Amino acid sequence: MTFEKKFESGTRRLLAFNPLLADKAGLSMRNIGRTTDLFMATWMGKIGTGILVFFLGIVVFTELFVPYDPGDFTTDKLLDPSLEHPFGTDQVGRDVLTRTLHGTKASLMVGFTAMIISMGLGTIVGLASGYWGGWRDEVIMRVNDVFLSVPWLVLMIVIASIWGAQDLTSVIVVIGVTGWSTTARIVRSQVLSLKARQFIERAKALGAGDWHIIRRHIFPNVVPLIFANAILTIAISILSESTLSFLGLGPQDVETWGRVLEDAYNNNVALAGPFMFIIMPGICIVVVVLGFTFIGYAMDEILNPKLRKR
Amino acid sequence: MASFRRVLSKRVFNAFVTILLIMLVNFLLFRVMPSDPADMMTPRDPTTPPEVKWRNIEAWGLNDSLYVQLYKYFVGTLTGDWGISFWYEDNVANVLGSAIGWTMLLLGTSSALTFIIGIILGKYAARKRGKPADVAITSFGLFFYGMPIFWFGILLMVLFVSIIPLFPSGQYISAGLHPELTLTSISDILWHMALPCATLTIGSIAGIVLIQRNSLIDVLTEEYIVTAYAKGLTEAQVMKRHATPNARLPVVTTLAMDTAFILGGAFQIEVVFSYKGLGYVTIEAIGRQDYPILQFVFFIGGVAVVIANLIADLVLVKLDPRVTIT
Repeated sequence: MTFEKKFESGTRRLLAFNPLLADKAGLSMRNIGRTTDLFMATWMGKIGTGILVFFLGIVVFTELFVPYDPGDFTTDKLLDPSLEHPFGTDQVGRDVLTRTLHGTKASLMVGFTAMIISMGLGTIVGLASGYWGGWRDEVIMRVNDVFLSVPWLVLMIVIASIWGAQDLTSVIVVIGVTGWSTTARIVRSQVLSLKARQFIERAKALGAGDWHIIRRHIFPNVVPLIFANAILTIAISILSESTLSFLGLGPQDVETWGRVLEDAYNNNVALAGPFMFIIMPGICIVVVVLGFTFIGYAMDEILNPKLRKR
Repeated sequence: MASFRRVLSKRVFNAFVTILLIMLVNFLLFRVMPSDPADMMTPRDPTTPPEVKWRNIEAWGLNDSLYVQLYKYFVGTLTGDWGISFWYEDNVANVLGSAIGWTMLLLGTSSALTFIIGIILGKYAARKRGKPADVAITSFGLFFYGMPIFWFGILLMVLFVSIIPLFPSGQYISAGLHPELTLTSISDILWHMALPCATLTIGSIAGIVLIQRNSLIDVLTEEYIVTAYAKGLTEAQVMKRHATPNARLPVVTTLAMDTAFILGGAFQIEVVFSYKGLGYVTIEAIGRQDYPILQFVFFIGGVAVVIANLIADLVLVKLDPRVTIT
């Protein structure tokens, strides 16, 4: 259910994938050049890619040029924006712009790595469940139901608070292991429809083993379906990190946008100001998430030709 | 009708199994984690005397074997004995009773608004597909979708509490007033609920709008729609009689699935606006390591979603004869 659930957690569900279209999807995946052209022809593809490039640029720029160290405590606490501190300063006098710039790297990293964990888990579980079928499938799907049913946020905060470790790695793992269930569902239903196709039967008749069939015939046909989903998962993972941080369960060892927001909220900035402190990191999150959502959406438009503009 | 009954019983059975599994996962989660449950279940305040720990081990039956504990947990949960909160030293049901009520009020109001406004906007966008109105609605939808909902709440707070002081900054009722059925009390409650409810509605409306739009557009490309136009029906007639009924199905599913998402959103909003509902109490419980409360929230959240989905499944079967069990 995060996207199928916020998506689960809502966003993922926006792209209602239709497994029947997978063949066409497969075609456009093989023809990368044409797919890229189609992708860049959509305004969402253009803007999404632009946003992504911009923030990757910020990471590089920050590593090379940023004037203040985010660890510098000064006595200029909670200042309003000025020329020297364009976003103002935080509760211990650090420059908010610098913190935001430094937060970019970890925030993006959480997005990518958590995505890899949850897509990996989801794909493996979905392949296994769909290909085996029978009682194994029933068991896996019931467990999957549990992960789909318990609200994503509750699942995350319970695991995070029991685990107790608040470093970047544990936060990534918590986000990763709570986000696989939708992917597993999508992959499973695709495998089920593929299994009934003739080319699988042919491969079996020719004596192909299970592993060969999965690797050469099923997996390649699943990839296009989960591709757009993977991009959206990045967006959701970034949102998840900021939410965990806001609730006080975020990583304590690195700077992320979520932590800047947490600091701002805990110091009553929403009521007393300076408002820029709480606005800017939020805008970064929104823009990046929007960027990935656009890319995912544009992908879906290509992989889902029925909606393509005629 | 026999097949409907079979679908029904299989669905109900699956839901029941899922709830049992949620309980099992819930039970194990709080025991397989690396720390000692006895320590975990006891306040970590260093001034806590050791007797408290032993008393808790006894009270929680932690000396029993895992199977006995599991059995006791299942029986307790199913009979309404949900444990004792460490912090309040009272039954979890008593602690959370009123909080659940406030969350239901907030959730109910915003869900109804989300549903109604979402459907209307989605239909409008589908009819104006590709035109500026559609692009505007879709982009706004995506924009709010990509926003951490707690941050949107904070933004509204900055705008309508700090800069233009129209609404209160938190709580569900003004100090000194009590929730009762008088005009002052009710209007005060509504006044306090306005911002959280608006945040939740706007923040979660995108799902419904986009699904309604996409499924309606899907339906509108079907050939029988062309036929309907060809035989001279007006756009309004086609929408009402041919398109909308078929586009309704994904919306029902989405709404049910959104329960989990909206519940998560409500938790965040409650924290932002210090609205003392289930979410607020839960987040407090994290800070206080009040695990029985977390355990119960985990259980009740899962059950709520399972039931919402069960209802959606049944509605779906009623709405669309083609839907069979998978």
